Parts: sequence; structure tokens; C-alpha cells
Amino acid sequence: MRTKDKTVNKSLAWLGSGGGSNAAHVDVMDGEIVRIRPIHFDECYTPEELNAWRFEKDGHVFEAGDKTFLPPLSLAYKRRATSPNRIPYPLIRVDWDPNGNRNPQNRGASKYRRISWDEATDIIAAEIMRIHDTYGPRSIYCEGDGHGEGNCYAGGHGCMINLFHMADGCTLQARQPDSWEGWVWGAKHVWGMEPVGSSTSQVNAFHDITQNGDAILFWGCDPETAPWGWGGQQPSRLCYWFSEIGIKSIYVCPDVNYGAAVHADKWIPVLPNTDSALQLAIAYTWISEGTYEEEFLKTHAVGFDVFRDYVMGVTDGVPKSPEWASPKCGVPIYKIKALARYWAKHAVSIAHCNGGSYIRSAFSHEPARLEVVLLAMQGLDKPGAHQATFTDMGVMGESCNPLPPSKVTANQRACYHGWAYNVGDSFIIKTLLPDAIISDKVDWYSLGVFLAPRETQFQPFEYPRPGEAGIKMIWSDAPCWSTCWNCGGRDQDALRSENLEFVLVQHPWFENDCKFADIILPITTTFECDDFGTDNNNGQYSMFYYEKQAIEPVGEARTDYEAVLSVFRKLDKPGSPYEGVVEKYTQGMGYEGWMRRAWETSGVTQTDKYGSFKELFESDDKFWMGPTLENWEDRKTPLELFCENPEMFPLNTPTGKLEIYSQELADHFPDDDIRGPFPKWIEESDEHKERYTSERAKLYPFLMVSNHPHWRVHAQHDDLPWLREIETCKVKGPDGYAYEPLWIHPRDAEKLGVKNGDVAKIFNERGAVLGGVRVTERIMPGVVYQDHGARVDSIVPGYGGLDRGGANNLICPSAVTSPNCAGEVTSSFLVGVEKVDVFELAKRYPEAFGRTFDPAAGQVASDFIVEGE
Amino acid sequence: MAKAFLIDVARCNGCHNCQIACKDEHCGHAWLPYAQAQPEIGQFWMKVNEKERGQVPVVRVSYMPTLCAHCAGAPCAAACPSGAFQRRDDGLLLIDPETCTGCGSCVEACPIGAVYFNDELGIAQKCTGCAHLLDDGWKVPRCVDSCATGALQFGEEAELDLDGAVTLPGLEGAGARAYYRNLPKRFVAGCVYDADANDVLIGATVELLDAVGAVVAQVETDEFGDWEFDQIEPGAYTVVVRAEGYPEARVAADVTEKDLFTGDLGVRKA
Repeated sequence: MRTKDKTVNKSLAWLGSGGGSNAAHVDVMDGEIVRIRPIHFDECYTPEELNAWRFEKDGHVFEAGDKTFLPPLSLAYKRRATSPNRIPYPLIRVDWDPNGNRNPQNRGASKYRRISWDEATDIIAAEIMRIHDTYGPRSIYCEGDGHGEGNCYAGGHGCMINLFHMADGCTLQARQPDSWEGWVWGAKHVWGMEPVGSSTSQVNAFHDITQNGDAILFWGCDPETAPWGWGGQQPSRLCYWFSEIGIKSIYVCPDVNYGAAVHADKWIPVLPNTDSALQLAIAYTWISEGTYEEEFLKTHAVGFDVFRDYVMGVTDGVPKSPEWASPKCGVPIYKIKALARYWAKHAVSIAHCNGGSYIRSAFSHEPARLEVVLLAMQGLDKPGAHQATFTDMGVMGESCNPLPPSKVTANQRACYHGWAYNVGDSFIIKTLLPDAIISDKVDWYSLGVFLAPRETQFQPFEYPRPGEAGIKMIWSDAPCWSTCWNCGGRDQDALRSENLEFVLVQHPWFENDCKFADIILPITTTFECDDFGTDNNNGQYSMFYYEKQAIEPVGEARTDYEAVLSVFRKLDKPGSPYEGVVEKYTQGMGYEGWMRRAWETSGVTQTDKYGSFKELFESDDKFWMGPTLENWEDRKTPLELFCENPEMFPLNTPTGKLEIYSQELADHFPDDDIRGPFPKWIEESDEHKERYTSERAKLYPFLMVSNHPHWRVHAQHDDLPWLREIETCKVKGPDGYAYEPLWIHPRDAEKLGVKNGDVAKIFNERGAVLGGVRVTERIMPGVVYQDHGARVDSIVPGYGGLDRGGANNLICPSAVTSPNCAGEVTSSFLVGVEKVDVFELAKRYPEAFGRTFDPAAGQVASDFIVEGE
Repeated sequence: MAKAFLIDVARCNGCHNCQIACKDEHCGHAWLPYAQAQPEIGQFWMKVNEKERGQVPVVRVSYMPTLCAHCAGAPCAAACPSGAFQRRDDGLLLIDPETCTGCGSCVEACPIGAVYFNDELGIAQKCTGCAHLLDDGWKVPRCVDSCATGALQFGEEAELDLDGAVTLPGLEGAGARAYYRNLPKRFVAGCVYDADANDVLIGATVELLDAVGAVVAQVETDEFGDWEFDQIEPGAYTVVVRAEGYPEARVAADVTEKDLFTGDLGVRKA
């Protein structure tokens, strides 16, 4: 029987920025997607052609794998294309009149009516010209970063930034190191490791751990969640492999995350954001017992003596002993000592998936720096002992790949139309957006973007500059500030400010901050466009393929690239400041022209598998793969070389050595006692009082952990029916609504009088969000857990508001990491918890509770659209 | 020759790929004459069940992919009054959607709940082994194809390594062709430390005694003072801890109903 008409290649991953992954075959029949499945390599390659790599240990074998290891997020993704949450056509807010009353206060509440692309782009072009001429180009603020589909030719985020930069500019939202906060603001000052501060010395890490390792500390790391969205499930296979060959998996985190649930040999529960206390007590144990590499530190580090005196209490009279640390971090004294002694005796690695909550809480530079100091105290990079990563295996360059690399890595940049990390001459670091909208001026240190070198952390910046008018217009293609950033309630308030004259959003789905837009443009999903794909992040082989359109665009959707061009075609007029930008941006080429260019510069022509551009381009489902580098086992890591000869192979720090004490920090920020020159325990600061010992804990007695979501990529995927029905994805409340799970330990549940399936409110002075109770041993007592990124469903928007969807970023701290570090703080904060009666709430808030929701997919776009003209 | 599934639950990471791939294939698409469409939500021809086990800090989750076992002597087929069940040459058991009268007898008859009743269509439905794909040249059904960890296998019963594999409780004698490895039993775990020195006890002997006092198993505490007995039968046990210089300690460990972490046991020198 007929089971498909054709098969196309698609990257079903959500890193964005032009980088694909999760290479899938998508079968299409009668114009619809019938299935999404892994790509089997033997359809195009033999193992010999691939020079297939493998690890061997004591008769056990780990193979790279013969198909792509897709995550469930990819397999369930076709429903994202047909979601009732899709934006069907261009929309305009009913009470926003560009020539009259703009009603900014009604953003988030008002409904929308349909307009045509032509009308929409006329209004947008007129607004851009008006704002440009009245206030200047830097009053147009563009958000073009963040995660999303890995589209390349079809756009990706930030197409409009490129066009503005080709004219006289705009103000860019600088995507800061949100995935690496602690590493960037802290660890970089100890060991360099540009660009993001976590180890870029990954070469052969997993092979070496295989051969020489004894244990891996999964410190705040969930290899069964974080890698899914941009690399698939190779990390899961590696975890099974390490267990198979007897390498211990020790999880150090407040929760039994999804990796710990199946791979942990041990779980050491630690209270949220108290890792620094545990780390200091480990250092104390090593110093007391003489079990650290003293000689190594003499030749490879500076400032250890200052740190040692602090740890031992010489400087402040407080020894950072296990006895001192235990009440702070919740780990028993004997366990701290056992961990320290085990670590000193064995080859122990630390694994991360960038870091998650561990490096995204208040003062996150401290645990990040302390980790590097502990690694240094054990000789930094020994056989079987590394800081190893399970994510971004191919994102940050070859030295960041812990697995055998391909001889050639396919490159997609030549046809990428999204934002390419250049900040231009005006930008704002993302965490400060609400302040930038509502106040006269914001200032911060650092070039903002996550790739910015360490030195820029000493550079002051401000916005607006003298004489400028500040933000008057926002253009976003990733509208999820309130779902993904610190204190989203303030974002919701700022978006309703009268300072903002025009908010423009382009997006496939009507979700999160879309509801605060004045005009919304409908965008395609990746299934609906022609594109170019690479997969360099699968932990197997580099892959490259053409991604042909699978289905027709849904409704009036256009690609990001086309949508932005639709606006700029209206602006590109003789004499206009935007004259000529369309030709400059498109270079007069269509799809095939861009694909040919990308082919020529991709690197794939270096192998002889496909002889010509046409051979691959004219096929829907063929793909290119990079054979494994010959003799990959022989390569040394940068850190190995540094350990051997620090003078010849210095670190990227001012002294070239490990700077346990940073003179640079001491010189630039002499008064900063939160991020001082060397890492310490910070109990609280003027801005952050989020400890059990804080006065606020009397009102808000629980510590909240919020990790990267298991069944989403941040704010994406929350409408997928086959994920939402999974037990751990949503909790069906008594009113039938699918609430975001809230994990509560049985002991706390008893005290709070809540049981499975109840709906509870988690709250602090910044607001409240609802959650569906799951009473579980997967969270330590005194701590509650809720994934971040659930779709906002405001009952009362803004600071101090109430959200039904469980978007807990709304109530995160609003202050940045520490006074001179503008990082986000999105986990480990105090909350109160109480049971709520949803039927009572529904009576009090009939409008919010009366919204339509689809039993399978949740919120629906039609609920926000008024019919007719 | 008959097709069979082999599921190693110790390799199941709970990603639910199998459950989702099944829905991707069968929801919204009828593959007639093999099957009508699976309802969009709430029914699972392949279902991943999960069970949380233990207490802080020894907590793990066991996942169990569960599907129709295409039993050779299927109780569901036997219960069908209208002859809607059809056995293929490859052993897969299908319900003909045209013949099914919607009486629901088979749904009741399946001991593991793998047959579902589609209210909208008024018929019984279940796993087809993706027979429509096998007939189109596929080697394995969607669930197996999508499994990343190798937890699921599918093949000729005679060619799979079934040594030590079992079928699910309830299907004894039915000739079930979904085999399992490493089905979870019970664990009991604990930690021993010197309450005066605040140090874990390494190398202490820990014995597991059954209800009549016979030693069932013995381990030594590891470098964290931890001990564990995994894959033991449900029942009431006693754990005896012996360390040189310390009095013997006994801890009751009833794992009849659930897995158990007995707590951190502080001992003092004799």
C-alpha cells in the first residue's frame, strides 16, 4: 500500500541562529506530513565510508550509531505545524490606532482583527519611518535572538537586524550569555576559556573518561533533558555506556532530574544555589588532609594562598569546614567528607549541559569559579578527569567537541539570513529591557552578547546615549521575555508602557508576549519552507542536507526572511534611509542561488561523495556526512598542553595561569564584595535575599528550582498534544485545565495539605503562578520544583500578578546576578506555596478562566481574534 | 515463524519516543485495511508506564513500555464473538476495523489493558506492529525504529536472544510475544556513618536476612558508606550491619509494597 508520496530532510532542533540538528526524515502524503523518523545512515553511506568511530573498554563496545537519535520533541513536532495556536494571518490589535489612540495600557488584554499583508506592511513601514524621523533609528529596538527553529536561508531570528544594520542602524537586544551566566561572569576570570567560560578543552574527553575515569559528577546537569532540543539523544547512550563500563554517575542537585532518574548511582541532594558552600567545604577537607595538588598550583596558578586563607578561616575567622557548610547546603557532614575524599582518590570528571540552574541563580559566578578552583586543586586535567559537556558538542568549535570529530564540518553560514551576533553601534543587554523601557537610562558592563571577550566585562555601556529618545518601537521574532527571563512580570508591565508607541511581533504561534503586540505577522514553521540544513551537534558525524518544503504554508504564513523583506520592500524607496537595502540583503538571488553559494562554501566539496551541487540539490532525501577524522585518538587537549607546560601553552588569562585571585577584577571593581577577586560564599546581597536565612523566608519558606524544561525547549513546544498527555508533562486540574507540574516532597505536601492533582499557587512579592501538584520523592524536602517556560496564561498580568499557565519566570528575581554582572537570575528563589480552589478563582476571574482551551493543545489563537472586518 | 518484541527496561530512559512515534504513525491517519486512526489523545497502542521508586536520597524511576503482546493464544481474540481478530502469517494479531462490532469484549479480556475502545468510531483498537509498514518493506515498527537507547527490539522470535527474558504478569500461558528483560523487583538501600566522628563507614559488612533469618545476600558499604540490595523479591527483610569496633546494628526493611531507603544509620564505637 502507499505509505508516503515523498521524503524530505529536516533539522528538527531549536538552537536557532542557523544551526540545525536532530536530522530527520519527514514523510509526506497527500500534502500532509505522515511521519517523522530518524535518518538511517546506511541509506547513503557505508560504515567504511564514514570511517565509523567506536570506543572499546574491557570487551565492551560503544558505537557512534547508525541512525540519528531524535528526541521526542522532534517526533511529536508535526502537530506544531497544525496547532490551533498558529497565527493564521496578519493581525492588528483592535484598540491600537496608529493615527489616534494607541491604548498601550491594553496590551495583553485586547483582542485582534485580521488585516492583509499589504495593509500590515503599509502600517509597519509608515511607523518605522515615523519613528526613524521623529526619534532616530536607535529608538527601534530589535529582538532577534534566542532559540527557535534552526532555519537558515528561510531566516532564523534577527533578519530585520541585518537590514537595519545595512541602513543606519537600530538598537539591538544583545543576547547575553544566558546559558552560561556563571561561567562567563565568573569562571572566565579564573581560566579564560573564551567564548563562554566553561571548558573549551573537550577534545577526546569522553574517550579519555572511558579509558581512565572512575566517576562523573553530574553537577546540576540533566543529560536526559538539556541536550534534546539541539543534539538529540546521544548523551543518553553515553550515560548508559559509562554505567556499563563501571564508571560511577553521581548527581549533585536538589532534584532527581530525568538523567538521575535512570542513570544515577548516587544522588547527593544539595539545596538550591548553595553549591558554593559544598564546594568550599570540599576545598577545606582537601587542604586539611593535604589531598590536593599543591605543587601543581605553585606552577600553574596565582593567588591560591589568598583563597586557602579564606577557606581555612585565617582571614575572616570562619573555617569553611563541612560543619560550617552542612546547614547551608543541606548535605550531611559525613557525606561532604566522603565526597571530598572520594574525589581526591579517584579520576573524577564533572559533566554539564551548559549548567542550567546551577549557573543561573544569584551570584552564579561563585559556584562556577569554585568549580574551576576545585578542578585546579586536583590538577585540572588528568587522565579520566575533565570538565565535560553533553550539550553544544559542535556549536563552539572543534575543541569543544568531546567526541571523535568529522574530518570536515559542514558550514551553513553562507546562506544564513538571521542575526549573526554583531552588536552594531547601539545595544542593550537583554536582562535590562524592562528598565530600558520605563526609565530614563540603563547602564551595565560588557558587550552583552554571549560571545563577548572577558575584557569587555570591564567596559561600561549605557542606553540611551545623551540626546537620544530611548525605545519607542519593538520588533520581535522571539516574543518570550516574560517566559524566559528574570521577573517577567516587569516585562509585562514595561510592554504596556506608554513610552512604547509600537510593538511588532512576527511568530508562528500566538503565545507568550505575542499578546502584547500591536501588529502580529504569521510565520511559517520549518516544514513549510525550503532551506539548507546542517547537523553538527549530534555527537556522531557532521551532516548536511537540503531541506525541501514538506507542506504548503499554513494560512498566510511567510518565512521570517520573506516577512522581513515584505516590510523592507515598502521602506526601500529612492531617497529613503532604507534605499537599496533589499538588493543588498537578497543579493538578487533566489533559493537555488543561495543554495549553490552555500554548497560552495560549506566544506562538503572536500569529500568526493557527491560530485556536484545538482546531485544533492535535486534529491529530496539524500544527505552528506563527514567521515571521522583519521587518528582522532591521538589529539591532545589544550588543557593537557597547559598542564604539561604552562609557559608555552598559557591559558587565556592576563597571567596565562589559573587566576584563583584575579588582579584584574580587584583593579576594576575594588568595591565589589559580591564578585570579589576570588570566589567566596555569598549569603545575600542588597538585591538578592533568597536564602532560608533571609528575613523574607518567613513569608516565603520554600526554595524554588526551575530547570530547563523536559518536555519543551524553553518556551517552545507547550502546545504539543502527545507531550502534554505524558504523566510528567502536565497535571490535569479539577477544572480539566492542564497545569504545569509543581513537585513537592511528601513531607511538605502533608504540611501544606496538598495531594496529587491539586492546584497550588507559588508566590512571593513579585507575583504568583499556579501549578498542578505532584507529590514526589524526586525533590528534596523544603524545595519545590517547576520547569520553566510554560506558556503564559495571565489571570492578572504584570508585577504582583497571577498566571494560570505556570510561567514561573514571571516571579523570578528582577535584579541581575550581581552589581557588575548583568546576568539573569531564574532559579533558586524563595516562594510560598498554598493550595487554591480553582473554582473560586474562576468566579473571581471569569474572563481569564473563561478562555477557550483545546483539550489536546491548550490555549488557542482564535480566542484572541475577533471575527469579521 | 512469528514476530516478537524484546524490551530491556534497564535501557529505557523514559523518553517516550516509542509512544509518540506510534501516535505519529496512527493518530489522524487510518491505514486501512490494517487499522483505523488512533484517537489523538488518551489512548496508547504503545504506552510508557512509569513508576517512581525509593525515598530521598535513593530515588529512581522505572519506565516500562507496554504494548499488545500479539499472544499466540490471545485472550482478546478468544473473547471476540464476531471473528474480527486476524492472525497474520508473521504472527502479528490485527483487529479488522470493518468486522469489529464494538462489543468491547476484547478490551475486557486483555490482562494488561493493551486493547482500547475507540468511542468515536465504536471499535476496539490496538498495536498493529505497524504491519502496513512491514508489508511496505520496513524491518521494524515505528516504536522500535525511534528508540534511541536500544531498549526496544523487534524480530523473528526464533532469532531474538530471549534467554532469561520474561513476559508480563497476567499473560502467563497466553503465548505472549512481547518479552522483557530486567523488570524491576525491589531495592533496599542505606548509609552507615560514625555519629561521633561524623565519617561514613567504609567496608562495613551488610547482610540481608529474609523473614526466617536466612542470609539472602551480603555486600560491603562503599566509599560513601552506602549499601544497596537491588532486584530482590518483595518481602519483609532485616538488614544487619557489622563493622569492626562497632556493635552490630539491625534495621527492619519491609519492601513488600515498595522500595526502601532505610535512612542514614549513625553508629557509635562499642
